[in-house]
Parts: sequence; structure tokens; C-alpha cells
Amino acid sequence: MSFRKYKRYVEEGDVVAIHMGRDTLKAVTVVKDEIQSNKLGSFPHNDWIGREYGSKVYSKKGSFVYLLHPTPELWTLMLPHRTQILYLADISFISAYLELKPGSRMIESGTGSGSFSHSIARTIAPTGHLFSFEYHEERANLARQEFKDHGLEDLITLTHRDVCKDGFGLSDTVNAVFLDLPAPWEAVESAKKAFKQHRTGKICTFSPCIEQVSKTVAALNEHKFVDITMFECLIRNQEVYSVKKLTVDHAIQNIRYMDARRKENKAKAKRSIDEMKGHTSYLTFATFLPVEAGTAPAATE
Amino acid sequence: MSAALETATVPAITTEDDISEDFPHIKADQCLFLQLPSGNVKQITLKPDTKIPLGKFGTFKANALIGQPFGLTYQILNNSGDIKPVRNTALEDIESTEANNREIFDSKDAQKLTHEEIERMKREFPDEADEESIIKKIIESHSSFEKKTEWSKAKYVQRKKKKFSKEFTPMRPTLYSVAEYFFERNPEKIGFLRVDTLAQILNFANVHAEARYLVVDDTQGLLISAVAERMGGYGQIMGIHDGLSSNYDVLRYHNFSKRILDSISTLPWTMVDKDEPTSDGWVEFTEEEFEGLTDREKINYTRRRKTVKRIEAARAVLNEGGFDGLIVASQYLPMSILDRLLPFVAGSRPVVIYNINKEVLIDAFLHMRSSKEYVGVQMTESWLRRYQVLPGRTHPEMTTSAGGGYILSAYRTFDTPNPHLDASKTEEQSEAKKAKTSQ
Repeated sequence: MSFRKYKRYVEEGDVVAIHMGRDTLKAVTVVKDEIQSNKLGSFPHNDWIGREYGSKVYSKKGSFVYLLHPTPELWTLMLPHRTQILYLADISFISAYLELKPGSRMIESGTGSGSFSHSIARTIAPTGHLFSFEYHEERANLARQEFKDHGLEDLITLTHRDVCKDGFGLSDTVNAVFLDLPAPWEAVESAKKAFKQHRTGKICTFSPCIEQVSKTVAALNEHKFVDITMFECLIRNQEVYSVKKLTVDHAIQNIRYMDARRKENKAKAKRSIDEMKGHTSYLTFATFLPVEAGTAPAATE
Repeated sequence: MSAALETATVPAITTEDDISEDFPHIKADQCLFLQLPSGNVKQITLKPDTKIPLGKFGTFKANALIGQPFGLTYQILNNSGDIKPVRNTALEDIESTEANNREIFDSKDAQKLTHEEIERMKREFPDEADEESIIKKIIESHSSFEKKTEWSKAKYVQRKKKKFSKEFTPMRPTLYSVAEYFFERNPEKIGFLRVDTLAQILNFANVHAEARYLVVDDTQGLLISAVAERMGGYGQIMGIHDGLSSNYDVLRYHNFSKRILDSISTLPWTMVDKDEPTSDGWVEFTEEEFEGLTDREKINYTRRRKTVKRIEAARAVLNEGGFDGLIVASQYLPMSILDRLLPFVAGSRPVVIYNINKEVLIDAFLHMRSSKEYVGVQMTESWLRRYQVLPGRTHPEMTTSAGGGYILSAYRTFDTPNPHLDASKTEEQSEAKKAKTSQ
């Protein structure tokens, strides 16, 4: 149950996110009598059982880590990469645009490393359902095992299938569709059938190249999707630096008196040039309209 | 004081969440958004047996929309307000031609039809002068229309359509559409909280069903509505608010079911303090005493009793503690909020604070980075760019929001002492460490 429902205390069998330092996280399953060894030291699991999540735990030598409760967001930062994965900026924006909430029924293809799948399952629980499709058999099996280990198996149906060739095999079922495929336009027709036919639904395709977007837009248009639009969303990390306030007077002082003060008056820029993700993918969105739109009887009196 | 303590309640018009309905059609008395040809969005409440005015686009009968699905586009047929659904037009491909603007000169005389003539056309033939025939006439009267490039022709027609079309599209209020509506219309009201930033707050805070969240919302309810939508009525929300009663105006645009509205409790800031009495001079009457009251006194007493009971219940919820997250979009300094509310947050749960101004967050950011009560402390800014994706005309939009504000997020931790060491040794060690760092 751990990924979709919080608990207060660590129990045997839990997946715990070990926080070892800034940006250093590791997923560990708590097993009695086992010892977690990492670069900081050796941590006996027995010390963890019964502790409140968020606690600091120590190695014999006195180094420490924090025990964090697993969340889909932490999982994104520590999961084993089998493919490129989606990160929080795209995940959160797509979830909002696709109107995900408890009860939503959704298609996702492909499953990949399961980063988005965990987030979707969390958001649509307890009454929604995710139909996830992956064409790579080994990846599908690994993801299926992870969903089971993380208590998400009743929320996710994972099918090993090439949806571009064989379609989703679903009709009148979902409110939302997400396609992260090399050729999403090949799956648009089948996706259209999968939508609940009597209400509006939303589709998103995730493609890194603008040429893919053009082909997808053409396919969406051909299949009568409306409100076709596209976004890019990025997150920029912010830091706060302390900077010495130096004036030209300092420079003049330095030249006049080549003394000890020279050293202290030099601006020490402790920062490096930061890099950020400049592009992940284009997010193309469109709306599915209820069937027979436009041919329904005129609503006149 | 009792009347003022009453929470402004949002009436529930439905018992069912739309997601569980196969045919979630438009209902009477619902809030909805209408997408207008001009690109603007109008918010209406669909009162039965009324006519809804859409300004220059005309008026339509509310009853004609009740029971219809969302998302279809309707055309106003005549002055009596009849409507009919129209087919949504596909995007048209535009072929490149040899035309260019070399032969086109800016001139007021290019359009032979005057404004008065167009208005007369609309007036004299209201039922026939539909958008298409008006636009056709306008194009015919444009002396250099044929010299335009295909792109520029399409743009011209689009511009005229925006002006003369009598079509509108009813849209369901959702987390996304509500946030977008207020950001476009009145960003100050919602603390300039842009939809992508709001979406990120919900993810940073791991908002989900069957959990309990502490929310400080000075965005007139935008934040608390978003949390409520993501929880679907499973779990509990505690809103801490300014003044005596909450002002979560945005809640009423969501058409939330009663179950979702009931999952929200609220308390004013004064009630966070454990020593503050719930209500001064409140005495519960016995049944006999109550019977002795006049009718008017009975009504007042009952109302006041309800309020006191509500606040007592809400305080019990808060004091239970162990919340699964603290989510803040407030005008108050983050440190002053953390001082009061962090003790109510369970371990390892997210603390997420939004502000449009980075400067407001900096003190709390530096504090959290150096404190042992938080890990994973980060401050982020969202960047969003929207594109037009018409075939052959794909490009980013020409103007966009320049800033979506900043999010400070972290996980709450405990500075648990090392059980492998006895207390004196730990102290010794930390003293030694302190001495070392101060050197």
C-alpha cells in the first residue's frame, strides 16, 4: 500500500527512500536482520523498524541517513532507468491538463520505466484505473513486478503489446490518453475508440521533435479531435548565493595599497554555471468530443 | 460574533461526482464556462427559464443547454435565443502561393463596406445575416484580398470570424479551466498562481485521496479547490484562513459534490492557538432553558450552537495533528506560518510553499537548508510556453506570461538522537563539532 497511502511508522516489507544527502536517494526494502551498506556506512534494518518516517537513523560509526516515505515524486528521482523518463514538470502539467483525479480512467503507452505510471496511479486512486501498454517484453515484466511491490497492481493493468500495430483493444472505456511513442499518430485512431464515447476526453502526446508534432496534429485533426494545442513546460531550480558587495572604491584601495586587504576584497563567486533541462518534449493536447457531435437534434423549442 | 464566524457555505448542486457518471451532461444551476468566438471565456450560472446574454454575440435560452453534453459548439440562431449544435471545423491546411505583400499598400479604403453598412445588414436580416454571409460580403468588398498570401487570407477570415460569429462552446469547470480563467481575468485575486505552478504544487505535495492536508490559501480558494479536486472527497482538508470566516470563493465554480465539500474543514488563524477559547461566553442551554426561549432567540441560539460545534469539531481535527502535508499560498511570511503549523505535520511529509515573489521565500529557504527538520529543500520556478500548431503555421505564441511564481518545497524530518551513543557522548561530540566549525 505504500505508494498510494501514507503510513506513520516503518514496518518490515516497506519500501523506504533512504535520503543520504542532497539529491542522493535510494529505494530499499526493509528486511529484518539485513544491513544496508552504502558509502556512508552500514545501517542495520532492525534499527529502522518501528521508527517514524522522517527519522534520522545512524550507522555504527555515527553517520546518518533519513528514512523517507516513498512517493511517486521520490520514486522518479531514484527509480532504475530502463528508458528516458518523465519528470515532475511534464508529469504535473499533463496530469492537470488531462484532468486526472480520483476515478479517472486512463491509457498510457508506453510504460517505460514507470515514472509517470506511479504518479498517475496515485492521482486516480482509489476508484480510477490505468491501462498501461509496453511493447518491450522485459520492460513490461519488470514494471509489472514494481507495480505489485508498490501496492499499485489493482490500479494498473499492464499489457505487453505494440499499440501502433495492434491498437489498445479498448472501447468506450477511458477519459484520458497519454502517448509517449516514437510514432504517436499511428495510435490515434485506436485511442479514439478507447475514449468514453458520450463525454469529452483529453489526449496528450509526448514527442521530442517538432516533425513528430506535425504528424500527430494532422492525425488528431483527421480523427476530429478539437482544441489542438501544444506546450512546453520546464522547471528551473533557484539558489540563493551570498555575494560580497564590492564597489569601485575597493578596486582603488587595492591598487593604492597592495596589502592584505586585497585578498579579502576579492569577490569570491562560489557558484558554477548552472545547467537545466532545456527541452524534454513537446506536449501536444487535444479534446475528444462526444460522438455524433454536430448531428445531435437541435436543442430548440 | 457568532454570525460572523459562520463559514460562507458553497451550495452543493449535485450528489454525484462527474467522473463516476457515463453521461455527465450540463445541469440546471451549474457553473460553467463559455468559450466565445473572440477567444474570451465567460463564466455563467445556468439558471433555468432565463436567457443568457453574451454581449454582441446575442442571447440564448438557458433551457436549451440543460441535458446537453459539454464540449459541443452551439450557434445562436435568432433573436429569440434558439441554438443549434454545429460541427467543429477541422484545421485547414494552407498551401503556399506566389503571393506576397509587395503589391499591398496600407489603406483605409481597401475595405469598401462601412461599419454602418455591416451593422444595417445585421439589423435588417438578423436571421439570415449569419456570420458566413457577412464575412463573404466583407471579403468581396475588400479590394486587395486576392493579392494577400494564403496565410494572410486565413488570418483575415479568422479575425472577421471572431468578430461576427455567434458561436459558443460550454466547458466544464475543472482544476485547469478554473485556474486558467482566473489567471486570465483576475490574477491578483488568486495570488498570480499560474496553472502550471499550481499543478507542480499538487505534485510536490503528493496530493492524493485518503490523506489529510493542511492548507493555507490566500488565493480565494483556488488552491484548496485544486487540492479538493485531487482528493475527490476521500480524506480531509483543513483550511487555515484570514478573518473570522473563510473566503474560498473559487470553490463554488467547481460544481463539487456534497461529499467533496464535506471533506473541507476551516479554522481562522486565532483557533490554531490551543489556548484560545472557541467562543467567549458560550453557554450550552438545557432542553428546558431552550424551550423557554422566544422563537427568534431559538433561531439565534441554534445558529450559534451550530457554529460553535463546527469550530470545536474542526479544532479537534487540527489538534489530532499528523497531517500528510502543509500546502501554502499566502500573503504571510513563510517562517511565521511554519512556526505555527509545522508541529501538526507528520514526518517525511511534504511542506510546499508558493509565492509570486522569490524574495518572500528566501528566509525560509535558507532556514530550511540549514535546519535538521527538513531534507530535499528546493526552490523552483516554472516556465511555460504555448504554441499555435496550425498545419504549416506552427510557432510559439507571441505573448506569454513572464513569470509563474516560485515554489519552496521540502520534506519534514526529525533530528533523532543517535541511540548508539549515550547522551553525554553525543553532547560532547556536537560540542567538539561546534568548536571545529567555529574555528
